Amino acid sequence: MKNLNIRALSFVCLLFGFSINSYAVPSIQTAQLDNGLTILLVEAHNVPMVSLQLTTPAGSRFDTINKAGTASMLATILGDHTAKHNDKAWAEWLDSEAIRLGASASRDTLSLSLTVVKDSLPVGLDAFSEALLQPGWYKKRFLSLREDGIAAAIKSQETPGTQAAQATAKLLYGSHGYGHTTSGTAKSLPHIQLNDLKTLYTNQVRPVGSVLAVSGDITMQEILRLLKPRLKTWQGKPSVAALDIKQPSVVRRKSSHVTIPTSQALVQFSRLGIARSNHDFFPLFVMNHLLGGGGFGSKLMEEVREKRGLVYGVYSYFIPLAAPGPFIITLQTRAEQAEKAAQVVRDVMKTLADGKIDKKQLDATKSNLVGSFAQRMDSNRERVGLLSMIGFYQMPLDYLQNWTAHVQSVTLSDVRRMAKAYLQTDDWNILQVGPAKEKKH
Amino acid sequence: MRILFLLLLLSAPLFSTHVHAAELQQATFSNGAKLIVEEDHSAPVAMVQVWLKVGGRDEVPGKTGLAHVFEHMMFKGSKALKPGEYSKRISAMGGNDNAFTSHDFTAFFETVPAEQVDTALNMEAERFAHLDLDAKEFGREIKVIMEERRMRTEDDPNSHMFEELSAAALRLHPYRNPVIGWMQDLKKLNIDDVRAFYTKHYVARNATVVIVGDVDFNHVKKVVKRTFGHMKDVKVPPRFNPTEPEPLGAKRVDVHLPAKSPVLAITLPVPVWLPGKNDSETAALAVATYILGGGRSAILQRQLVDEQRKAFSASAGYDPFGMGLDLWYAYGMLGAKQSPQNFEKALWAILKDMGNKPVSVKQLQIAKKNIIANEIFAQDSLYLRAKEIGHMETVGIGAMHKDEWLDAIRAVTTKDIQEVVSKYLRPERATTGVLKPEVHS
Repeated sequence: MKNLNIRALSFVCLLFGFSINSYAVPSIQTAQLDNGLTILLVEAHNVPMVSLQLTTPAGSRFDTINKAGTASMLATILGDHTAKHNDKAWAEWLDSEAIRLGASASRDTLSLSLTVVKDSLPVGLDAFSEALLQPGWYKKRFLSLREDGIAAAIKSQETPGTQAAQATAKLLYGSHGYGHTTSGTAKSLPHIQLNDLKTLYTNQVRPVGSVLAVSGDITMQEILRLLKPRLKTWQGKPSVAALDIKQPSVVRRKSSHVTIPTSQALVQFSRLGIARSNHDFFPLFVMNHLLGGGGFGSKLMEEVREKRGLVYGVYSYFIPLAAPGPFIITLQTRAEQAEKAAQVVRDVMKTLADGKIDKKQLDATKSNLVGSFAQRMDSNRERVGLLSMIGFYQMPLDYLQNWTAHVQSVTLSDVRRMAKAYLQTDDWNILQVGPAKEKKH
Repeated sequence: MRILFLLLLLSAPLFSTHVHAAELQQATFSNGAKLIVEEDHSAPVAMVQVWLKVGGRDEVPGKTGLAHVFEHMMFKGSKALKPGEYSKRISAMGGNDNAFTSHDFTAFFETVPAEQVDTALNMEAERFAHLDLDAKEFGREIKVIMEERRMRTEDDPNSHMFEELSAAALRLHPYRNPVIGWMQDLKKLNIDDVRAFYTKHYVARNATVVIVGDVDFNHVKKVVKRTFGHMKDVKVPPRFNPTEPEPLGAKRVDVHLPAKSPVLAITLPVPVWLPGKNDSETAALAVATYILGGGRSAILQRQLVDEQRKAFSASAGYDPFGMGLDLWYAYGMLGAKQSPQNFEKALWAILKDMGNKPVSVKQLQIAKKNIIANEIFAQDSLYLRAKEIGHMETVGIGAMHKDEWLDAIRAVTTKDIQEVVSKYLRPERATTGVLKPEVHS
């Protein structure tokens, strides 16, 4: 029960930074099963383990508006038991083989993941395919898990971050599929029925358009030999293709406040970012890294924390999804100085939007991105995440090889163009979560 | 190879012979500074960590939070580097730097491209020896730390309750104070306190440099000898490690905060691992804790949540690698209709049962297998590998002993578990904390 403090917030790394640095970029091997499932593999033989992740187009964007949390509940159920094993027998079996099996949902995707010691891969894949292909749908168990989910959703309301995520999703996307958080709320979860999970599963958890990313001590030949017999009964394509999605409408200059009894206020600026397929990805990525995506080297951290001591952390990120995902700037500070901190953020945005970015800043940003290439993919877990993104969003397979060149080719005028397009303060919405606002004095 | 050793443990029958351990290479310099290296040439990156035998336990009453202040001030300038420049340089070489503090240690680290290791080591040594503790910088940074405390503790009812619980559980041992410091102390700390702490504790004899990654031991040994190995030899007194008096009866603390739902936690002082002295007892505690709180079959989650429906989440934790003692804990997060009294009663019934009769051989084997498998999965991360080495070395266990811990785990019997549970996990030794939601208007 000892506390451990970490100096910086862990910056949400939604984008992948890579460079060359005399580093041989691991090549991605690819294959397709007869049922249409795409397999991507990076071999890594230094640790005798294998990690893999199946990504399917069954994310929370498919949740109906009053049933937010459906995809997430489906993930919970798929990971919890199967038609052959009830939850207790399932837990005992997985634990007795040291099989780490997980399932989770995000806005666009539902994923099933597996990590095993190399020797346990065959039995691990037995469990993995059983979870995927033979769901149990036990009603009583579903009701218990739903009840626990509701209790956890109530508890999570204590956290300003959860409140902010919910309010921002609603503010920015309204009735669009991204207009709620993946985990759902205490209000939405009770509406979800077992049938809703079955419908999502039947419609969307299909091999066509899904991606199985693999990293570890294995070859393509070996993994195919193990997968083919296990996944041969899995067939079909999803009702809605992975990247087939409605464009969200632009929302600007809205402001809202959520009152909770904390000493700090969380201030969150938001606007639409870009879709994964957008050609401006690299210029925007570099611009954001300079703004607030690069931790201690970034402009926001320098102005709000280092120079003024107003916050512990302030950062910016954008999430490129099937449709334009959110672009967020967020900080937490003592409620009395929230407005002051927000003004510093606006000033930074304005400075950059006005083109006041120099070559030196840009070069420092690029050298950080380029230099950190190797370490951003130095574990199986990270590589699997990366391969899943590349496969699911249909990025070119030489994405890694060309990544550094893309970053290097971003010019000062590109970054200025991005800042001008994305950092106009009038285009942003603002949310505050914290104690009731005091009267102005 | 350490990995080979781990695999042998995983597959070997019980009672197998001693397999010799990890390929750690060490050097101790004449001024007491240490170097420990684990070479791994699978990717051209290295994790460089500087560990210090300084933490929250080395503070005097009224000055809590001082050790953690350095986690911030080490980035605020030295003789050769301006404030903020340290991170900027690491960032420019494509590295990421950070730091963490506990009661027992402070550590500074960066992941860097392999060819930059020498530069990173030189920079680490320079700031360590020539920190520029500027009053103005401190004035700003202490505000950042107060924001950090507001974010992590004051505005988080769960961690606030755990802070109260630790403080109530212990009389002498420094684990009673929060690492980040009490707000009342933070408000009074001044630059003279910081300077005195620096002079006393930031000396070569307290430093261990740990490197895991693509380096050559003989080469980095020369670099560390020239830097850390060249600092003045300053004798250090033994660390503050008082013997906590045995509890004389149960204690209780109610914490009233604006939470959404209750939490009940119990904590008890238990021994930590002293290699060769109490291996069997502490390993048995670790296995018992895994059976209670680890994996999918964890008894607390299975019985208290799934079967008895007395909480929506429950677990237990034990850190055998502390100094002096550990505060063993178990907790339940409760939903609206679940009462702390009922949960508490059911929790003690499980612990009592575990002290009265042996766990099954199957439970024992599953726990052992998973503890070892977790060690293998941890090899996937340079950060975790370096951290384990630094941690063991800094608390006085010695990094070279780390594989003996797994031998001790393998030797645990069901009888050992029954004995430690009945000896230590008894209600009259416990401090119980209840988070009681209060409604704020």
